[in-house]
Amino acid sequence: MTHEAPKDTVAPALDGLTTSSEPSDPAKDGFHVRHVATADRVVELARRFDEAGYFLEMITAEDRRGDLEAMRLVYTYNRYGEADRHLVLVDLSSEIPGASAPSCVPVFPAADWFEREVFDMYGITFDGHPDLKRILLPDDADFHALLKDFGRIEDAPPEEDPPERELTV
Amino acid sequence: MKTPNPIDLAPASAPEDEMYYLNMGPQHPSMHGVLRLLLKLHGEEIITAEPVIGYAHRAHEKMAENRSYIMFLPNTSRVDYLSGMIYNLAYCEAMEKILDIEVPERAQYIRTIANELNRISSHLLWFGTFLLDLGGVTPFLYCFDDREEILEVLDRVTGSRLTYSYGRFGGVTMDVDDAFLDGARAVLKRIRERIPMYLSLVHDNVIFRERCDGVGVMTGDLLRKYGITGPPLRAAGVAYDVRRAEPYGIYDRFDFEIPTRTAGDCMARFEVRVDEMEQSCRIVEQAIEGLPEGPIMPGRMKKRFKPPKGEFYFAVESARGHFGMYIVSDGTDNPSRIKLRTPSFSNLSSMPEVLRGTFVADTIAIVGSIDVVLPEIDR
Repeated sequence: MTHEAPKDTVAPALDGLTTSSEPSDPAKDGFHVRHVATADRVVELARRFDEAGYFLEMITAEDRRGDLEAMRLVYTYNRYGEADRHLVLVDLSSEIPGASAPSCVPVFPAADWFEREVFDMYGITFDGHPDLKRILLPDDADFHALLKDFGRIEDAPPEEDPPERELTV
Repeated sequence: MKTPNPIDLAPASAPEDEMYYLNMGPQHPSMHGVLRLLLKLHGEEIITAEPVIGYAHRAHEKMAENRSYIMFLPNTSRVDYLSGMIYNLAYCEAMEKILDIEVPERAQYIRTIANELNRISSHLLWFGTFLLDLGGVTPFLYCFDDREEILEVLDRVTGSRLTYSYGRFGGVTMDVDDAFLDGARAVLKRIRERIPMYLSLVHDNVIFRERCDGVGVMTGDLLRKYGITGPPLRAAGVAYDVRRAEPYGIYDRFDFEIPTRTAGDCMARFEVRVDEMEQSCRIVEQAIEGLPEGPIMPGRMKKRFKPPKGEFYFAVESARGHFGMYIVSDGTDNPSRIKLRTPSFSNLSSMPEVLRGTFVADTIAIVGSIDVVLPEIDR
Protein backbone atom coordinates (compact mmCIF):
# COMPACT_ATOMS: atom_id res chain seq x y z
CA MET A 1 0.00 0.00 0.00
CA THR A 2 1.51 3.27 -1.02
CA HIS A 3 -1.36 5.39 0.19
CA GLU A 4 -3.46 5.64 3.29
CA ALA A 5 -7.11 6.20 3.85
CA PRO A 6 -7.98 9.87 3.87
CA LYS A 7 -7.31 11.25 7.30
CA ASP A 8 -10.87 12.34 7.93
CA THR A 9 -12.24 8.81 7.57
CA VAL A 10 -13.14 7.18 10.86
CA ALA A 11 -15.12 4.09 11.74
CA PRO A 12 -18.82 4.97 11.54
CA ALA A 13 -20.63 5.02 14.87
CA LEU A 14 -23.75 2.98 14.27
CA ASP A 15 -24.57 1.84 17.78
CA GLY A 16 -28.18 0.96 18.20
CA LEU A 17 -29.19 2.02 14.69
CA THR A 18 -29.04 -1.40 13.11
CA THR A 19 -31.00 -4.51 13.93
CA SER A 20 -27.83 -6.54 13.52
CA SER A 21 -24.24 -5.87 12.44
CA GLU A 22 -21.79 -8.62 11.70
CA PRO A 23 -18.27 -8.56 10.34
CA SER A 24 -17.93 -10.39 7.06
CA ASP A 25 -15.04 -11.80 5.06
CA PRO A 26 -14.27 -9.47 2.13
CA ALA A 27 -12.09 -12.13 0.52
CA LYS A 28 -15.24 -14.22 0.10
CA ASP A 29 -18.11 -11.83 -0.56
CA GLY A 30 -16.57 -8.36 -0.86
CA PHE A 31 -18.20 -6.96 2.28
CA HIS A 32 -16.37 -5.96 5.43
CA VAL A 33 -19.46 -5.48 7.57
CA ARG A 34 -23.06 -6.57 7.02
CA HIS A 35 -25.90 -4.66 8.62
CA VAL A 36 -29.61 -5.29 8.75
CA ALA A 37 -31.76 -2.27 9.51
CA THR A 38 -35.33 -1.04 9.40
CA ALA A 39 -36.57 1.56 6.94
CA ASP A 40 -36.99 4.33 9.50
CA ARG A 41 -33.26 4.25 10.22
CA VAL A 42 -31.80 4.59 6.71
CA VAL A 43 -31.41 8.39 6.78
CA GLU A 44 -29.77 8.40 10.20
CA LEU A 45 -27.47 5.60 9.02
CA ALA A 46 -26.54 7.62 5.92
CA ARG A 47 -25.78 10.59 8.16
CA ARG A 48 -23.46 8.52 10.34
CA PHE A 49 -21.60 7.21 7.30
CA ASP A 50 -21.39 10.75 5.96
CA GLU A 51 -19.93 12.03 9.21
CA ALA A 52 -17.38 9.25 9.15
CA GLY A 53 -16.20 10.29 5.67
CA TYR A 54 -17.70 7.41 3.69
CA PHE A 55 -19.35 7.68 0.30
CA LEU A 56 -22.56 6.09 -0.88
CA GLU A 57 -21.42 3.45 -3.34
CA MET A 58 -24.82 2.34 -4.55
CA ILE A 59 -28.45 1.81 -3.70
CA THR A 60 -30.39 -0.96 -5.30
CA ALA A 61 -33.26 -3.28 -4.52
CA GLU A 62 -34.20 -6.91 -4.79
CA ASP A 63 -37.57 -8.44 -5.40
CA ARG A 64 -37.63 -11.00 -2.57
CA ARG A 65 -41.39 -11.44 -2.45
CA GLY A 66 -40.87 -15.03 -3.51
CA ASP A 67 -38.82 -16.22 -0.55
CA LEU A 68 -38.88 -13.46 2.10
CA GLU A 69 -42.25 -11.91 1.29
CA ALA A 70 -40.55 -8.52 1.20
CA MET A 71 -39.04 -5.98 -1.10
CA ARG A 72 -35.45 -5.44 -0.09
CA LEU A 73 -33.40 -2.27 -0.28
CA VAL A 74 -29.64 -2.59 -0.50
CA TYR A 75 -27.20 0.18 0.44
CA THR A 76 -23.43 -0.10 0.22
CA TYR A 77 -21.05 2.43 1.71
CA ASN A 78 -17.33 2.57 1.14
CA ARG A 79 -14.48 5.00 1.63
CA TYR A 80 -11.81 6.50 -0.60
CA GLY A 81 -8.93 4.54 0.74
CA GLU A 82 -8.34 0.97 1.67
CA ALA A 83 -11.71 -0.67 1.08
CA ASP A 84 -14.16 -0.90 3.98
CA ARG A 85 -17.48 -1.83 2.45
CA HIS A 86 -20.61 -1.81 4.58
CA LEU A 87 -23.69 -3.57 3.30
CA VAL A 88 -27.02 -2.42 4.69
CA LEU A 89 -30.06 -4.57 3.98
CA VAL A 90 -33.50 -3.11 4.61
CA ASP A 91 -36.61 -5.21 4.17
CA LEU A 92 -39.80 -3.37 3.23
CA SER A 93 -43.38 -4.51 2.83
CA SER A 94 -44.16 -6.67 -0.16
CA GLU A 95 -46.87 -4.35 -1.48
CA ILE A 96 -46.16 -2.77 -4.86
CA PRO A 97 -47.23 -0.02 -4.96
CA GLY A 98 -46.94 0.65 -1.28
CA ALA A 99 -43.41 -0.28 -0.25
CA SER A 100 -41.61 2.88 0.72
CA ALA A 101 -38.59 4.22 2.57
CA PRO A 102 -37.32 7.69 3.54
CA SER A 103 -35.07 9.34 0.96
CA CYS A 104 -31.34 9.77 1.60
CA VAL A 105 -31.00 12.66 -0.86
CA PRO A 106 -30.67 15.33 1.88
CA VAL A 107 -27.55 13.52 3.12
CA PHE A 108 -26.09 12.12 -0.10
CA PRO A 109 -27.16 13.77 -3.36
CA ALA A 110 -25.81 10.62 -5.02
CA ALA A 111 -28.97 8.92 -3.75
CA ASP A 112 -31.06 11.03 -6.13
CA TRP A 113 -30.46 8.95 -9.23
CA PHE A 114 -30.10 5.65 -7.37
CA GLU A 115 -33.50 6.10 -5.74
CA ARG A 116 -35.06 7.12 -9.01
CA GLU A 117 -33.70 3.95 -10.56
CA VAL A 118 -35.07 1.79 -7.75
CA PHE A 119 -38.44 3.47 -8.16
CA ASP A 120 -38.27 2.99 -11.92
CA MET A 121 -37.37 -0.68 -11.76
CA TYR A 122 -39.25 -1.79 -8.62
CA GLY A 123 -41.92 0.78 -7.84
CA ILE A 124 -40.57 1.43 -4.35
CA THR A 125 -41.17 5.05 -3.40
CA PHE A 126 -38.93 7.33 -1.37
CA ASP A 127 -40.50 9.87 0.98
CA GLY A 128 -38.87 13.26 0.70
CA HIS A 129 -37.21 12.67 -2.64
CA PRO A 130 -37.14 16.03 -4.47
CA ASP A 131 -38.21 14.71 -7.86
CA LEU A 132 -39.09 11.03 -7.87
CA LYS A 133 -39.71 10.07 -11.49
CA ARG A 134 -38.60 7.44 -13.95
CA ILE A 135 -35.01 7.55 -15.08
CA LEU A 136 -34.17 4.70 -17.46
CA LEU A 137 -37.53 3.41 -18.66
CA PRO A 138 -39.83 5.57 -20.80
CA ASP A 139 -41.80 8.20 -18.89
CA ASP A 140 -45.10 6.63 -19.94
CA ALA A 141 -44.17 3.05 -19.01
CA ASP A 142 -46.83 1.32 -16.91
CA PHE A 143 -44.59 -1.40 -15.47
CA HIS A 144 -41.61 -1.81 -13.18
CA ALA A 145 -39.24 -3.94 -15.17
CA LEU A 146 -37.17 -5.69 -12.53
CA LEU A 147 -40.10 -7.09 -10.58
CA LYS A 148 -40.03 -10.85 -10.84
CA ASP A 149 -43.64 -10.97 -12.02
CA PHE A 150 -42.98 -8.56 -14.86
CA GLY A 151 -42.20 -11.52 -17.04
CA ARG A 152 -39.34 -13.33 -18.55
CA ILE A 153 -37.88 -11.92 -21.70
CA GLU A 154 -38.43 -15.10 -23.68
CA ASP A 155 -42.13 -15.04 -22.76
CA ALA A 156 -42.62 -11.73 -24.49
CA PRO A 157 -45.05 -11.89 -27.40
CA PRO A 158 -43.46 -11.61 -30.83
CA GLU A 159 -43.41 -8.08 -32.09
CA GLU A 160 -46.10 -7.26 -34.57
CA ASP A 161 -45.42 -5.16 -37.61
CA PRO A 162 -46.59 -1.60 -37.07
CA PRO A 163 -49.74 -0.74 -38.99
CA GLU A 164 -49.22 0.82 -42.40
CA ARG A 165 -49.23 4.55 -42.15
CA GLU A 166 -50.01 6.92 -44.89
CA LEU A 167 -47.43 9.56 -45.47
CA THR A 168 -48.81 13.03 -45.44
CA VAL A 169 -46.98 15.95 -46.90
CA MET B 1 -14.08 31.86 -20.18
CA LYS B 2 -12.41 31.20 -16.89
CA THR B 3 -14.06 33.44 -14.36
CA PRO B 4 -17.46 34.71 -15.37
CA ASN B 5 -17.85 38.40 -14.90
CA PRO B 6 -20.41 38.80 -12.09
CA ILE B 7 -22.21 41.44 -14.14
CA ASP B 8 -22.97 38.85 -16.82
CA LEU B 9 -24.58 36.46 -14.38
CA ALA B 10 -28.31 36.32 -14.22
CA PRO B 11 -29.65 37.86 -11.05
CA ALA B 12 -31.35 35.31 -8.88
CA SER B 13 -34.57 37.20 -9.50
CA ALA B 14 -34.29 37.17 -13.33
CA PRO B 15 -37.86 36.97 -14.57
CA GLU B 16 -39.03 33.64 -15.90
CA ASP B 17 -39.83 35.06 -19.34
CA GLU B 18 -36.16 35.90 -19.82
CA MET B 19 -35.26 32.20 -19.50
CA TYR B 20 -35.25 29.77 -22.32
CA TYR B 21 -34.77 26.06 -22.60
CA LEU B 22 -32.29 24.28 -24.78
CA ASN B 23 -32.27 20.59 -25.52
CA MET B 24 -28.70 19.52 -25.97
CA GLY B 25 -28.83 16.04 -27.42
CA PRO B 26 -29.70 13.21 -27.62
CA GLN B 27 -28.43 13.68 -31.16
CA HIS B 28 -26.18 16.65 -30.73
CA PRO B 29 -22.92 16.30 -32.69
CA SER B 30 -20.71 17.13 -29.73
CA MET B 31 -22.77 15.39 -27.08
CA HIS B 32 -21.55 11.98 -26.10
CA GLY B 33 -23.62 9.07 -27.21
CA VAL B 34 -27.29 9.60 -26.53
CA LEU B 35 -27.07 11.94 -23.59
CA ARG B 36 -29.70 14.64 -23.51
CA LEU B 37 -29.13 17.72 -21.41
CA LEU B 38 -32.12 19.87 -20.70
CA LEU B 39 -30.67 23.30 -20.09
CA LYS B 40 -32.49 26.26 -18.64
CA LEU B 41 -30.61 29.33 -19.78
CA HIS B 42 -30.43 33.00 -19.11
CA GLY B 43 -28.48 34.18 -22.11
CA GLU B 44 -25.44 31.94 -22.20
CA GLU B 45 -25.53 31.14 -18.53
CA ILE B 46 -26.89 27.83 -17.28
CA ILE B 47 -29.49 28.25 -14.57
CA THR B 48 -30.29 24.56 -14.30
CA ALA B 49 -29.07 21.52 -16.19
CA GLU B 50 -30.85 18.21 -16.10
CA PRO B 51 -29.31 15.16 -17.74
CA VAL B 52 -32.02 12.98 -19.27
CA ILE B 53 -30.84 9.41 -19.70
CA GLY B 54 -32.24 6.02 -20.62
CA TYR B 55 -32.11 6.25 -24.41
CA ALA B 56 -29.68 3.33 -24.59
CA HIS B 57 -31.34 1.20 -21.93
CA ARG B 58 -31.11 -2.44 -22.99
CA ALA B 59 -32.22 -4.17 -19.78
CA HIS B 60 -28.94 -5.92 -19.07
CA GLU B 61 -29.90 -6.46 -15.44
CA LYS B 62 -33.21 -8.04 -16.42
CA MET B 63 -31.44 -10.21 -18.96
CA ALA B 64 -29.09 -11.39 -16.21
CA GLU B 65 -32.03 -12.75 -14.23
CA ASN B 66 -33.34 -14.52 -17.28
CA ARG B 67 -30.31 -16.62 -18.06
CA SER B 68 -27.65 -18.71 -16.45
CA TYR B 69 -24.47 -17.21 -15.07
CA ILE B 70 -22.36 -18.27 -18.02
CA MET B 71 -24.86 -16.92 -20.53
CA PHE B 72 -24.50 -13.43 -19.09
CA LEU B 73 -20.86 -13.27 -20.18
CA PRO B 74 -21.43 -11.66 -23.60
CA ASN B 75 -23.60 -8.95 -22.01
CA THR B 76 -20.83 -7.67 -19.80
CA SER B 77 -18.60 -6.24 -22.51
CA ARG B 78 -21.60 -4.52 -24.05
CA VAL B 79 -22.26 -2.52 -20.92
CA ASP B 80 -19.33 -0.26 -21.74
CA TYR B 81 -18.23 -0.89 -25.27
CA LEU B 82 -15.07 1.21 -24.91
CA SER B 83 -13.52 -0.81 -22.15
CA GLY B 84 -15.46 -4.03 -22.61
CA MET B 85 -12.53 -6.22 -21.69
CA ILE B 86 -12.38 -4.76 -18.20
CA TYR B 87 -16.09 -5.39 -17.62
CA ASN B 88 -15.99 -8.86 -19.09
CA LEU B 89 -13.03 -9.92 -16.98
CA ALA B 90 -14.55 -8.24 -13.92
CA TYR B 91 -17.55 -10.54 -14.19
CA CYS B 92 -15.29 -13.58 -14.60
CA GLU B 93 -13.26 -12.61 -11.57
CA ALA B 94 -16.38 -11.98 -9.52
CA MET B 95 -17.72 -15.42 -10.37
CA GLU B 96 -14.37 -17.07 -9.72
CA LYS B 97 -14.36 -15.54 -6.27
CA ILE B 98 -17.89 -16.75 -5.58
CA LEU B 99 -17.33 -20.22 -7.01
CA ASP B 100 -13.85 -20.52 -5.56
CA ILE B 101 -12.12 -21.25 -8.87
CA GLU B 102 -8.36 -21.01 -9.08
CA VAL B 103 -7.17 -19.10 -12.16
CA PRO B 104 -3.90 -20.33 -13.73
CA GLU B 105 -0.98 -17.91 -13.53
CA ARG B 106 -0.63 -17.50 -17.27
CA ALA B 107 -4.28 -16.53 -17.61
CA GLN B 108 -3.87 -13.93 -14.86
CA TYR B 109 -1.01 -12.29 -16.72
CA ILE B 110 -2.83 -12.40 -20.05
CA ARG B 111 -5.85 -10.80 -18.41
CA THR B 112 -3.75 -8.01 -17.00
CA ILE B 113 -2.20 -7.31 -20.41
CA ALA B 114 -5.61 -7.31 -22.08
CA ASN B 115 -7.14 -5.10 -19.37
CA GLU B 116 -4.48 -2.46 -19.56
CA LEU B 117 -4.32 -2.42 -23.35
CA ASN B 118 -8.05 -1.89 -23.30
CA ARG B 119 -7.66 0.93 -20.81
CA ILE B 120 -5.15 2.65 -23.09
CA SER B 121 -7.43 2.29 -26.09
CA SER B 122 -10.34 3.71 -24.10
CA HIS B 123 -8.28 6.70 -22.95
CA LEU B 124 -7.03 7.25 -26.49
CA LEU B 125 -10.55 7.40 -27.81
CA TRP B 126 -11.50 9.78 -25.04
CA PHE B 127 -8.47 11.95 -25.84
CA GLY B 128 -9.47 12.20 -29.48
CA THR B 129 -13.15 12.88 -28.91
CA PHE B 130 -12.50 15.35 -26.10
CA LEU B 131 -10.33 17.45 -28.39
CA LEU B 132 -12.84 17.03 -31.15
CA ASP B 133 -15.46 18.46 -28.80
CA LEU B 134 -13.24 21.45 -28.23
CA GLY B 135 -12.77 22.01 -31.94
CA GLY B 136 -9.50 20.20 -32.63
CA VAL B 137 -10.07 17.71 -35.43
CA THR B 138 -6.52 16.54 -36.10
CA PRO B 139 -5.73 14.81 -32.77
CA PHE B 140 -8.78 12.62 -33.28
CA LEU B 141 -7.30 11.20 -36.48
CA TYR B 142 -3.98 10.42 -34.82
CA CYS B 143 -5.60 8.82 -31.78
CA PHE B 144 -7.81 6.59 -33.85
CA ASP B 145 -4.79 5.49 -35.81
CA ASP B 146 -3.05 4.42 -32.60
CA ARG B 147 -6.16 2.92 -31.12
CA GLU B 148 -6.54 0.82 -34.23
CA GLU B 149 -3.19 -0.81 -33.50
CA ILE B 150 -4.41 -1.86 -30.08
CA LEU B 151 -7.70 -3.17 -31.44
CA GLU B 152 -5.75 -5.16 -34.00
CA VAL B 153 -3.62 -6.77 -31.32
CA LEU B 154 -6.61 -7.62 -29.14
CA ASP B 155 -8.59 -8.81 -32.15
CA ARG B 156 -5.83 -11.31 -32.76
CA VAL B 157 -6.56 -13.26 -29.58
CA THR B 158 -10.17 -12.38 -28.84
CA GLY B 159 -11.69 -12.36 -32.30
CA SER B 160 -13.49 -9.08 -31.75
CA ARG B 161 -12.65 -5.43 -31.84
CA LEU B 162 -14.80 -3.97 -29.08
CA THR B 163 -17.23 -6.38 -27.48
CA TYR B 164 -14.73 -8.92 -26.29
CA SER B 165 -16.01 -12.03 -24.65
CA TYR B 166 -12.54 -13.19 -23.88
CA GLY B 167 -12.88 -14.33 -20.30
CA ARG B 168 -14.30 -17.58 -19.02
CA PHE B 169 -14.88 -18.61 -15.44
CA GLY B 170 -11.39 -19.84 -14.66
CA GLY B 171 -9.31 -18.29 -17.40
CA VAL B 172 -9.46 -17.00 -20.95
CA THR B 173 -10.64 -18.52 -24.20
CA MET B 174 -7.47 -18.38 -26.22
CA ASP B 175 -3.78 -18.44 -25.52
CA VAL B 176 -1.53 -15.64 -26.73
CA ASP B 177 1.31 -16.31 -29.15
CA ASP B 178 4.58 -14.56 -29.94
CA ALA B 179 2.95 -12.44 -32.61
CA PHE B 180 0.54 -11.06 -29.99
CA LEU B 181 3.34 -10.27 -27.59
CA ASP B 182 5.41 -8.65 -30.33
CA GLY B 183 2.35 -6.67 -31.34
CA ALA B 184 1.76 -5.55 -27.77
CA ARG B 185 5.38 -4.48 -27.42
CA ALA B 186 5.17 -2.55 -30.66
CA VAL B 187 2.00 -0.82 -29.40
CA LEU B 188 3.75 0.21 -26.19
CA LYS B 189 6.71 1.58 -28.09
CA ARG B 190 4.45 3.50 -30.39
CA ILE B 191 2.19 4.92 -27.67
CA ARG B 192 5.18 6.06 -25.67
CA GLU B 193 6.54 7.92 -28.67
CA ARG B 194 3.21 9.46 -29.49
CA ILE B 195 2.09 10.69 -26.07
CA PRO B 196 4.75 13.45 -25.93
CA MET B 197 3.80 14.35 -29.48
CA TYR B 198 0.12 14.65 -28.54
CA LEU B 199 0.97 16.76 -25.57
CA SER B 200 3.14 19.12 -27.59
CA LEU B 201 0.33 19.27 -30.12
CA VAL B 202 -2.36 20.39 -27.69
CA HIS B 203 -1.24 20.88 -24.12
CA ASP B 204 0.00 24.45 -24.45
CA ASN B 205 -2.37 25.48 -27.15
CA VAL B 206 -3.88 28.74 -26.01
CA ILE B 207 -7.43 27.83 -27.04
CA PHE B 208 -7.22 24.47 -25.30
CA ARG B 209 -5.91 26.04 -22.12
CA GLU B 210 -8.53 28.75 -22.11
CA ARG B 211 -11.25 26.18 -22.39
CA CYS B 212 -9.87 23.80 -19.78
CA ASP B 213 -8.01 25.72 -17.10
CA GLY B 214 -10.28 26.38 -14.17
CA VAL B 215 -13.35 25.09 -16.03
CA GLY B 216 -15.68 22.57 -14.42
CA VAL B 217 -13.96 22.46 -11.07
CA MET B 218 -15.00 19.43 -9.03
CA THR B 219 -13.28 19.26 -5.67
CA GLY B 220 -13.83 18.70 -2.00
CA ASP B 221 -17.03 17.31 -0.56
CA LEU B 222 -18.88 17.33 -3.88
CA LEU B 223 -16.89 14.28 -4.97
CA ARG B 224 -17.74 12.19 -1.96
CA LYS B 225 -21.36 13.31 -1.78
CA TYR B 226 -21.94 12.10 -5.33
CA GLY B 227 -19.72 9.02 -5.07
CA ILE B 228 -17.50 10.18 -7.91
CA THR B 229 -14.67 7.84 -8.83
CA GLY B 230 -12.04 7.42 -11.52
CA PRO B 231 -10.06 10.19 -13.19
CA PRO B 232 -12.43 12.99 -12.06
CA LEU B 233 -11.73 11.99 -8.46
CA ARG B 234 -7.99 11.61 -8.92
CA ALA B 235 -7.85 14.97 -10.70
CA ALA B 236 -8.97 16.49 -7.41
CA GLY B 237 -6.15 14.94 -5.43
CA VAL B 238 -7.76 11.78 -4.05
CA ALA B 239 -5.55 8.82 -4.94
CA TYR B 240 -8.39 6.29 -5.00
CA ASP B 241 -7.95 3.46 -7.46
CA VAL B 242 -9.63 0.09 -6.92
CA ARG B 243 -6.49 -1.62 -8.18
CA ARG B 244 -4.78 -0.32 -5.03
CA ALA B 245 -7.62 0.06 -2.56
CA GLU B 246 -8.95 -3.44 -3.10
CA PRO B 247 -6.41 -5.28 -5.27
CA TYR B 248 -7.92 -7.91 -7.55
CA GLY B 249 -6.36 -10.26 -10.06
CA ILE B 250 -2.61 -9.86 -9.75
CA TYR B 251 -2.42 -6.07 -9.62
CA ASP B 252 -0.60 -6.20 -6.30
CA ARG B 253 2.43 -7.62 -8.10
CA PHE B 254 3.04 -4.68 -10.38
CA ASP B 255 4.85 -1.47 -9.84
CA PHE B 256 2.74 1.47 -10.95
CA GLU B 257 1.70 4.85 -9.70
CA ILE B 258 -1.70 6.46 -9.31
CA PRO B 259 -1.44 9.78 -11.12
CA THR B 260 -3.19 12.63 -9.37
CA ARG B 261 -3.66 16.37 -9.78
CA THR B 262 -5.20 18.79 -7.34
CA ALA B 263 -6.99 21.41 -9.43
CA GLY B 264 -10.02 19.23 -10.20
CA ASP B 265 -10.73 21.09 -13.46
CA CYS B 266 -10.95 19.87 -17.05
CA MET B 267 -7.20 20.30 -17.49
CA ALA B 268 -6.44 18.18 -14.42
CA ARG B 269 -8.70 15.40 -15.68
CA PHE B 270 -6.98 15.60 -19.04
CA GLU B 271 -3.53 15.29 -17.48
CA VAL B 272 -4.52 12.45 -15.19
CA ARG B 273 -5.71 10.35 -18.12
CA VAL B 274 -2.59 11.03 -20.15
CA ASP B 275 -0.47 9.94 -17.19
CA GLU B 276 -2.62 6.85 -16.71
CA MET B 277 -1.81 5.71 -20.22
CA GLU B 278 1.86 5.75 -19.30
CA GLN B 279 1.15 3.78 -16.12
CA SER B 280 -0.84 1.22 -18.07
CA CYS B 281 2.12 0.88 -20.45
CA ARG B 282 4.30 0.12 -17.44
CA ILE B 283 1.93 -2.57 -16.20
CA VAL B 284 1.68 -4.22 -19.62
CA GLU B 285 5.45 -4.17 -19.90
CA GLN B 286 5.89 -5.90 -16.55
CA ALA B 287 3.17 -8.41 -17.34
CA ILE B 288 4.76 -9.35 -20.68
CA GLU B 289 8.09 -9.65 -18.91
CA GLY B 290 6.70 -11.94 -16.23
CA LEU B 291 4.34 -13.99 -18.41
CA PRO B 292 4.80 -17.62 -17.31
CA GLU B 293 4.24 -20.73 -19.41
CA GLY B 294 1.35 -22.97 -18.49
CA PRO B 295 -2.35 -23.59 -19.02
CA ILE B 296 -4.87 -20.79 -19.58
CA MET B 297 -7.81 -22.66 -18.07
CA PRO B 298 -8.03 -24.91 -15.03
CA GLY B 299 -8.29 -28.61 -15.88
CA ARG B 300 -11.84 -29.86 -16.32
CA MET B 301 -14.47 -27.19 -16.03
CA LYS B 302 -18.12 -27.71 -15.29
CA LYS B 303 -20.77 -26.54 -17.70
CA ARG B 304 -23.24 -25.49 -15.02
CA PHE B 305 -22.40 -23.31 -12.07
CA LYS B 306 -24.41 -23.14 -8.88
CA PRO B 307 -22.95 -20.57 -6.49
CA PRO B 308 -23.83 -20.70 -2.78
CA LYS B 309 -26.75 -18.59 -1.62
CA GLY B 310 -26.00 -15.04 -0.60
CA GLU B 311 -24.93 -11.55 -1.60
CA PHE B 312 -21.60 -10.75 -3.18
CA TYR B 313 -19.88 -7.59 -4.31
CA PHE B 314 -16.90 -7.33 -6.60
CA ALA B 315 -15.24 -4.11 -7.75
CA VAL B 316 -12.67 -3.26 -10.40
CA GLU B 317 -11.16 -0.06 -11.72
CA SER B 318 -12.53 0.51 -15.20
CA ALA B 319 -11.26 3.25 -17.47
CA ARG B 320 -13.98 5.47 -16.00
CA GLY B 321 -13.79 4.60 -12.33
CA HIS B 322 -15.16 2.18 -9.77
CA PHE B 323 -17.21 -0.53 -11.46
CA GLY B 324 -18.96 -2.81 -9.04
CA MET B 325 -21.08 -5.91 -9.46
CA TYR B 326 -23.59 -6.78 -6.79
CA ILE B 327 -24.58 -10.39 -7.33
CA VAL B 328 -27.31 -12.19 -5.43
CA SER B 329 -27.47 -15.94 -5.70
CA ASP B 330 -30.44 -18.04 -4.67
CA GLY B 331 -28.51 -21.26 -5.09
CA THR B 332 -29.76 -22.05 -8.59
CA ASP B 333 -27.81 -21.64 -11.81
CA ASN B 334 -29.59 -18.38 -12.65
CA PRO B 335 -28.62 -15.21 -10.83
CA SER B 336 -31.38 -13.81 -8.66
CA ARG B 337 -30.08 -10.29 -9.13
CA ILE B 338 -27.08 -8.64 -10.76
CA LYS B 339 -26.73 -4.94 -10.14
CA LEU B 340 -24.11 -3.15 -12.20
CA ARG B 341 -22.75 -0.17 -10.30
CA THR B 342 -21.24 1.80 -13.13
CA PRO B 343 -18.90 4.74 -12.60
CA SER B 344 -20.31 7.03 -15.30
CA PHE B 345 -23.76 6.87 -13.69
CA SER B 346 -22.52 8.39 -10.45
CA ASN B 347 -20.13 10.76 -12.19
CA LEU B 348 -22.84 12.12 -14.45
CA SER B 349 -25.32 12.49 -11.59
CA SER B 350 -23.20 15.37 -10.27
CA MET B 351 -23.71 17.38 -13.45
CA PRO B 352 -26.71 19.45 -12.30
CA GLU B 353 -24.56 20.88 -9.54
CA VAL B 354 -21.34 21.21 -11.56
CA LEU B 355 -22.96 22.84 -14.58
CA ARG B 356 -25.01 25.38 -12.66
CA GLY B 357 -23.64 28.86 -13.35
CA THR B 358 -21.35 27.84 -16.19
CA PHE B 359 -21.75 28.73 -19.85
CA VAL B 360 -23.12 26.67 -22.69
CA ALA B 361 -19.75 26.37 -24.41
CA ASP B 362 -18.19 25.06 -21.19
CA THR B 363 -20.81 22.32 -20.96
CA ILE B 364 -19.15 20.57 -23.87
CA ALA B 365 -15.76 20.72 -22.19
CA ILE B 366 -17.06 19.64 -18.79
CA VAL B 367 -19.21 16.72 -19.93
CA GLY B 368 -16.43 15.66 -22.30
CA SER B 369 -13.83 15.72 -19.54
CA ILE B 370 -15.92 13.45 -17.31
CA ASP B 371 -15.70 10.78 -20.03
CA VAL B 372 -19.18 9.36 -19.88
CA VAL B 373 -20.19 6.32 -21.87
CA LEU B 374 -23.95 6.32 -22.18
CA PRO B 375 -24.59 2.60 -22.68
CA GLU B 376 -22.82 2.10 -19.38
CA ILE B 377 -25.10 4.60 -17.66
CA ASP B 378 -28.30 3.28 -19.20
CA ARG B 379 -27.36 -0.42 -19.03
